[in-house]
Amino acid sequence: MHAPVDPSPGGAAPHPFAKPKTHRETYEFLIRQVLRAGTYSVLLAVGLIFAHIIIKGVPVVFTTKAPFINTNFLTKLPETLHVIEDKQGKIYETSPQGSDVIKKELGGNMRSEKTISYSGGGILGPIVGTALLVLVCMVVALFLGIASAIYLSEYASHGKFIEGVRLAILNLAGVPSVVFGLFGLGIFVLSAPVLTDTPHERSLFSIPLGFTYMSFQGWDTCVLSGAFTLAFVILPVIITASEECLRAVPQGFRETSLALGATRWQTIWRTVLPFAMPGILTSSILGIARAAGETAPIMFTAALAFKDKLPWQGDSGFFGIFTQSVQALPYHIYTIAARIPQSEYSERAQYGSVFVFLVLVLMFAITSVLLRRKLRAKYQW
Amino acid sequence: MPNEPKASSDPGASDLIKPPRFMGLRIDRQQVIRAFFSVSAAVTIVTLFLIMWTLVTEGPFRLQKKLGFLPVPTLKGGFLDTYRWELGVYRKAGLEFCDHVKKPLTEHETIFSRLKRAVGAELNTVSKVSRDRRDAAILAKTHVEERAALQREALQEALDKTGPATPPEKIEELRKAVREATARKVAAEVLPPLFTDAEKQKLQEDLRGLQPDQEDFPPFIQELMAESAKQDGLAREKFAAFVTAVDEFEVAADPIIEVHDAMKELALATKELAVQQHMSEDAVAQLLAAAAIAKTPEEKAAFEKDAAQTDTTAIDFKGRIEPLLAKRADYEKLIPAYLATVKKVMADMPSKPLTGEARTLLAKARKDLPEHIKTVEASLHHMSGWKWDKPIPLMQSLSAFLFGGDWITNSSWQDFYGMVPLLTGSLVISLTALLIALPFSIAAAIYVNQFATLREQEIIKPLIEFIQAIPSVVLGFIGISVVGDLIKSTSDVAWLQWIPGFPVAERLNMFNAGCLLALMAIPTMFSLAEDAINNVPRAFSEASEALGATKIQTVFKVIVPAATSGILAAMLLGLGRIIGETMVVLLVAGNRIAIPDFSDGIGTVFQPAHTLTGIIAQELGEVSRGSPHWQALFMVGIVLFAISLFINWASRLVVRKFQLPKI
Repeated sequence: MHAPVDPSPGGAAPHPFAKPKTHRETYEFLIRQVLRAGTYSVLLAVGLIFAHIIIKGVPVVFTTKAPFINTNFLTKLPETLHVIEDKQGKIYETSPQGSDVIKKELGGNMRSEKTISYSGGGILGPIVGTALLVLVCMVVALFLGIASAIYLSEYASHGKFIEGVRLAILNLAGVPSVVFGLFGLGIFVLSAPVLTDTPHERSLFSIPLGFTYMSFQGWDTCVLSGAFTLAFVILPVIITASEECLRAVPQGFRETSLALGATRWQTIWRTVLPFAMPGILTSSILGIARAAGETAPIMFTAALAFKDKLPWQGDSGFFGIFTQSVQALPYHIYTIAARIPQSEYSERAQYGSVFVFLVLVLMFAITSVLLRRKLRAKYQW
Repeated sequence: MPNEPKASSDPGASDLIKPPRFMGLRIDRQQVIRAFFSVSAAVTIVTLFLIMWTLVTEGPFRLQKKLGFLPVPTLKGGFLDTYRWELGVYRKAGLEFCDHVKKPLTEHETIFSRLKRAVGAELNTVSKVSRDRRDAAILAKTHVEERAALQREALQEALDKTGPATPPEKIEELRKAVREATARKVAAEVLPPLFTDAEKQKLQEDLRGLQPDQEDFPPFIQELMAESAKQDGLAREKFAAFVTAVDEFEVAADPIIEVHDAMKELALATKELAVQQHMSEDAVAQLLAAAAIAKTPEEKAAFEKDAAQTDTTAIDFKGRIEPLLAKRADYEKLIPAYLATVKKVMADMPSKPLTGEARTLLAKARKDLPEHIKTVEASLHHMSGWKWDKPIPLMQSLSAFLFGGDWITNSSWQDFYGMVPLLTGSLVISLTALLIALPFSIAAAIYVNQFATLREQEIIKPLIEFIQAIPSVVLGFIGISVVGDLIKSTSDVAWLQWIPGFPVAERLNMFNAGCLLALMAIPTMFSLAEDAINNVPRAFSEASEALGATKIQTVFKVIVPAATSGILAAMLLGLGRIIGETMVVLLVAGNRIAIPDFSDGIGTVFQPAHTLTGIIAQELGEVSRGSPHWQALFMVGIVLFAISLFINWASRLVVRKFQLPKI
């Protein structure tokens, strides 16, 4: 990178014999300020957006009384909000169950009742759903991504195959996320293999295994489908980041290891990966942020607008957590921002969810940036 | 991580002689590990292939089981085939014939609404003030009533109460409460400066006396209403010729609409039959397939019996189309009278309209009316040349998709899957976003790389890259909640009216989406452009400075031109990111499926639109698998995929073509 050649030409203290500024200099100064204004206005726009969300979101998530956090909002499932007004103009906000009680109490004194879908309760369901999706997605993406990166940096030599892989990575990175959604729908939801005794009629084909069938009928909309789709969305990011970290390990380490008689695999496992792994993981956190933020890929593969149970509150056991659809934060935001009529009550739920979502995603991103900076300083060869 | 295979023990002499073994097989373990990693790397290629496979087998092709189990993509049942069938019914049932009549009618509607607005603008010159005063007074009344609703309702209830009547004292008490509340609200209500102070007092007086059981408007408002009606009458007299001409123009289409409605009924009946017949044919095919794999002869017989009983007699399209064709004569008979009215309107339009709005509207109408006459005449021509049994080639359904100007779904008339409105929406939004993002990202790249101090660099670069981490749905939400209102209120400012497209009609429009997408694209474009500028060899700038060029001259005449390829590639990749973005456009672009009206010039960007990505996200969840609509959405997916591949290819080409000589 160029160090600025001449950081401040006009910065010296003015002295009485200074030449007056020429037109050229004024012009240059102006151009420079225009460029600077352009740069800072982008940051300003983003800053304003953040400020807006924080100003509107903080009152929803935090309270003025101890414990200062609106625990209901973070620990309850979304539900329909009932707003009841009595004849004295007093307004009650309550859950569907609470509304019956209040209505009975008020009797003839009730003036009006409004219901606002999804805007009551909290957002625990969407948070848990997003966490599950991201968890599974990271396992899949890291496994595939690191393995591909090891091949690219440790094994591959020049050739058609390697060129093909690089081209594929490049193109995958450019595929619109909604097309990944279609891909996930077609492959994971509708035709991935499952073990079942009774193949579904939409099954592409089923292979008898003796005791059961392996049927290519798909996993339906569930956490697994969504997480696998997300994994392929962020795969290019993970591969590129991992390869960069692997290549940053000095060649001398490998040569030393090989010279001592270690095999290729031993070299990778014992000398390359231990040094590359921290870097790989931190750069991948940025992938997490991306995966958590994507909406389009999970729209048809995993997300559900409303669900009144947490994933583990079913009776389908541990594996059942991953084979059911869940609510997800980005999809929840889309639902309450665009698919229900707007009112002051839905606005509160919107800003609260957006604030929490942004905080979660940015926490990942900041961690990644800070850790990466620290690691770079630590591993200097 | 894969499990670590057992570490090889000391390589003794025996190991050197024996071929290496893995899990008891004669395979080199290192080879197996290598193969595992290369398979992982191949996953990317396989994924790309699977994306294409999914898009193709759910879109233009359909998987059919061959030999009983092997799924093979075939054209039959794919989008082209099903859409061709739909278009075939559209033609054979005569819906297409009816649409020849519908086209002039639609035109008539748009022209009439423009003329009506022009009439309104002209009338306004006389009657606007009095009407505004009336509306303001009525609005104030509604406001006051709404705000005192609690007390009013309580009184109303007491008055309406059946059985033992409420005691008069109680009622009086309630009335007093209403009066008090109303008086408070009246005091709070700000009246517009349309009224003089004396009038304001009069109006407030009237409003204070409002009671729920009072049905008539208060006297002052009645006065205003009478005044407004009088002024309106005067205005209508003044522009009598124009008003009557437009009224006649509206009525002139009525007989044609009647004929059209009769035709529609006939055509729809035929279409319904055709759809039913198609469904029963499908049912028969399914029954026969079930019969073929039935386990017992009884089952088989039952299936075959059911199949034989299903009615699949072909529809007599020819016989059913006759009465429809006969309607053409009715339509033809109506045309001369209609055209005469159109010409009368053209003559009676005021040559010197009084207001600017009427001027632009009438100018449009003057251009449109001769076109309209041509359309009417052309419709006759089309109808006489129309053949119900003209076959539709397979490629026509493809071109109807690629170049069709209508995307209409769930319609009671006919579904069309033409992607032009979506594509234009996507393109206009992307270009807007690109035009906004380009100057900012390049300015930032130049500034950060060439002028900023090291400290600034360290702060700005991560911050801009940080924008990438903002989820798109959050940006979309910002578009709905903030940017939309911001654009709308800015566009209402009086001294900004010279900007084309102002004042904007819709809060959610292409410009709004473009602004937010620009913000999304800036980090990508900034990073790549900054890299490109950074990669310009140092010798370039040193040589330039040695020749006496100033810093700005060096930057704009040497460094930026040398980095052109990288900047262009950055632009293209930014474009790819913008076109492929879904949530922002779905939330913010306004979702109106129509080709934007480009006659507004640059103001076009303030219209709402729908996009390729948005339509998939919005509609795919609601359609059943394998229906033409579903397949059409996958076709849109193919288009998007192709665009993304093309942009990638183009950006690599650009980089290669403009590569700098190595120094």
